[in-house]
Amino acid sequence: MSDKVVLELLSLEKSLGLKKTNKYSTQGDKQVPVLQTNNGPSLIGLTTIAAHLVQEAQQKQLLGSTAEEKAIVQQWLEYRVTQVDGHRGKDETRTVLKDLNQYLEDKVYLAGDNFTLADILVYYGLHPILTELAVQEKEKYVNVSRWFNHIQHYPGIRQHLPPVVVLKNRLYTSVH
Amino acid sequence: MRLYLTEGNPHCLKVVAAVELTGTRCELQFVGVEERVVPFLAHSKLPCLQLDNGNYLFSTNAICQYLFTLRGKEPSDLTNQWLEWEGTELQAALSGALYMAVVQGKRQEAAGALQKKCAYIDQSLTKRSFPFLAADAITVADIVLWGALYPLLSDSTFLPGDLKALRSWFERVCAVAACRKAVESILKGKGLQALKPYLQKQPAPSQRAETPASN
Repeated sequence: MSDKVVLELLSLEKSLGLKKTNKYSTQGDKQVPVLQTNNGPSLIGLTTIAAHLVQEAQQKQLLGSTAEEKAIVQQWLEYRVTQVDGHRGKDETRTVLKDLNQYLEDKVYLAGDNFTLADILVYYGLHPILTELAVQEKEKYVNVSRWFNHIQHYPGIRQHLPPVVVLKNRLYTSVH
Repeated sequence: MRLYLTEGNPHCLKVVAAVELTGTRCELQFVGVEERVVPFLAHSKLPCLQLDNGNYLFSTNAICQYLFTLRGKEPSDLTNQWLEWEGTELQAALSGALYMAVVQGKRQEAAGALQKKCAYIDQSLTKRSFPFLAADAITVADIVLWGALYPLLSDSTFLPGDLKALRSWFERVCAVAACRKAVESILKGKGLQALKPYLQKQPAPSQRAETPASN
């Protein structure tokens, strides 16, 4: 059985159009992924490996085009591994959803107008959370739901993950 | 751009050091510990950087890397790896250790909680035989880890003497003028005690965060 994080990296490879698949393992209780490279020491950590794969696939624009966009992409990648993965209870999950919902209010993608690696990894990270979320809550976090739905329909991104149903029409009109 | 800081907040050290080292022109504004600056975050997150177009960076490591990128110093696999490790592994152990050392006065326990992480850095330095973490010269990785560890490692008796590579790396980075300036501006010559008002306002670290090695 493969670890979830390894499946995620294999999906990312496919999304990026990488032909040869790399060898992965995980280490520690937190199952931190490790990439074994042929021409150097191994790489450790989800965001580090993901950024490396993006470079390998020569799709650098996914890491951001300007200095500022690069910083924003890096920030949300870090947010994925420290906040989205790090949550320990319902309250912390709610804070994550609330913050993201507020942030995404006036944005198409996490970095603004351009689709980046941050969208892919935060989408993967939120998938188990959104799967569990009641319809009413999905409506509460309407900007997260809209963004999530957009990313899961983005060509080649969803890969191994089952689609999450996000309703287009509100059922609970009183919910704000 | 404008950098929002709080006195006695350990997370400010690396950011100020990065501003100084890269010679970035930026307005420094000190605010209260619990001030909410980033409009989309429910809780206070400091330090943070407001960019000229109004966007906010609230991740200290992303801020540091941004300042380096502006100087043409792009991240490498190795600097990325150190920054990710700092954010996911070191910070989890560190917040507990700092709280124990400063608020509860349990220095020994604090050292125990950090022992494994420090040993990891020491081994990496020994293995690669660079004077710095990711290259022959100082990189963003050195600034980020130095800033994180400074409050505890600046007391040279904090860790047992066998982590020689870590100790000499730490002293090498401490000697950099930008780092000395950062210490001055955030700790105001008060050492570890300068962090007390800030740390007392933080929630006590959860027991799960990191348990010291039992052997």
